[in-house]
Amino acid sequence: MPVGTLPTNPLYEDFHDRAVRRPDAPALHWHDTVVDYGGLAALAELAYAELAAHPGGPVALPARKSPRAIALVLACLRAGRPLLLVSESLGRRTLNELVERAGCGWLAEAGEHTTDWTDLGPAGPGAPVLDPATAGLVLTTSGSTGTPKLVPLGAAALDRFTRWAHERFGLGEGRTVLNYAPLNFDLCLLDIWATLRAGGCAVLVDPEHAVDPRRLAELFERTRPQVVQAVPMLFRILAEAGTAPVPEVRHVVLTGDHTPLPVRRALPGLFPSAEFHSVYGCTETNDSFLHTLGPADLTEGGTVPLGRPLPGVRTALAGPDGPDGPDGPDGTLTGAGTGELLVATPFQTDGYLADGAPGGRFTTGPDGTRYFRSGDLVSRAEDGTLTLVGRTDFQVKVRGVRVSLEEVERVLLGHPEIAEAGVLALPDRAAGVRLHAVVRRRSERLNSLALRAYCAERLSKAAIPAAFRLTGDPLPSTSTGKVDRGRLRAELLEEST
Amino acid sequence: MSVATVIKQHIVSEYAPDTSVDELPSSYDLLDTGLVDSLALLGLITWVGERFGVPVDEVEISPDDFRSVDAILRFIEITKSA
Repeated sequence: MPVGTLPTNPLYEDFHDRAVRRPDAPALHWHDTVVDYGGLAALAELAYAELAAHPGGPVALPARKSPRAIALVLACLRAGRPLLLVSESLGRRTLNELVERAGCGWLAEAGEHTTDWTDLGPAGPGAPVLDPATAGLVLTTSGSTGTPKLVPLGAAALDRFTRWAHERFGLGEGRTVLNYAPLNFDLCLLDIWATLRAGGCAVLVDPEHAVDPRRLAELFERTRPQVVQAVPMLFRILAEAGTAPVPEVRHVVLTGDHTPLPVRRALPGLFPSAEFHSVYGCTETNDSFLHTLGPADLTEGGTVPLGRPLPGVRTALAGPDGPDGPDGPDGTLTGAGTGELLVATPFQTDGYLADGAPGGRFTTGPDGTRYFRSGDLVSRAEDGTLTLVGRTDFQVKVRGVRVSLEEVERVLLGHPEIAEAGVLALPDRAAGVRLHAVVRRRSERLNSLALRAYCAERLSKAAIPAAFRLTGDPLPSTSTGKVDRGRLRAELLEEST
Repeated sequence: MSVATVIKQHIVSEYAPDTSVDELPSSYDLLDTGLVDSLALLGLITWVGERFGVPVDEVEISPDDFRSVDAILRFIEITKSA
């Protein structure tokens, strides 16, 4: 297809314009080097030529961060060549399954100096034909169980999202943005792709250094970002290491998790000139809500609300039986209550790719809106304020009462003597299920009796764990710093047999 | 050993093995805190009956009689003197 007939990709076009007008402006910080727009555009030109030399089918890119990997993404956007960005830590089998399902023709492994291309052969008969209009960039869900799902994002969704991020956080020339997330995460749409479109500079944190407080502090010291987006873990690491304040930071965007109170309290000290925002979203819909933290959010316990829907975002709460209940999608809650959050955003995917149920997590509302079923349990107060309760997956029934394991964990984490908490529902012959809490305490002064009394003041009786284990050792954790429930469960089950 | 200490020792070893007798206040609410749940309550009543020779099958018992160590002490005293 001649280049002239391709629809232009606004994200790439804007990047290209910046590179032509200000080739010497910094585009990326990577390790000790700064890549300017001219340099990145040259790498993208090279990648574009390599892409043309490896024709046929979408490209799969394991998301190892490097300027070359970023250049390849830009080249794919320019060429209208669908690109599957996958975690670099996937097992071989999962990777093979994903590239096959997406019908990828090539596996491109971008290193520091070269890109290795592996011919994956012709796509299987059932492979989808990807249209860059609806599947320019294909991300994956990050569930810890089962094969990830393929989430295609179209050019228009990327366009709308990067424009929103640009305006909301004042991205642009002279603005430096810290990119903490791995390259395959949707968070990069803000901190890398919106930044490059706007003419700013993205500081790429090498995932190998992501939990090293000394290197992180050095990176802040050297690059002085104005916008920082990350999971709470980054801020916990910085706070615990006593990192020096970074007054240049204007916006801190907290994502992916509840930010524990001790971390919230440490934020103003770390970033004395910043506004703090908590963002709610997922790969399927991208950012959906934003809450700018007030003084009380930064000092007091309790949950931070989801905040206001971003422009163009529509939401509903499914009733207790969910959209599959007898009421159907009309059974949404109108007043106060708790239910699964349904959300529709201008940035969302059209549905999973090559999936038995591509629209399985989507439902059409009474007004025709195509909602994503978030799987998140959200409660709405009388005044309309929405707060996240937990995952519907982590909702269990204890003696007939619905309990959110995550809510119990949050209450435990609100105790000043508790550093980490994991709550699990384990089968019990007499009671059906029993809640087990495992907590890492900061001092031996705290015992299970005091903790029970603390819970009794804050939780319904069914939600008070039947068993407490207090330890001084760190709990098993996942790569994103969350408590690893799977391993905790295995440990508890092993002990009880 | 006082009656209170015997009761506390039993409760602590059964339901809060990470703690010691001194850490359990006599007024601690055993029921609202879930330390003694409805199943465990039956076991506790039986134990009190056997340990202190209280005819628990013959008297009317309300859960409040077992709400705290203090309550259990009062319950034993009243039933034995009745």
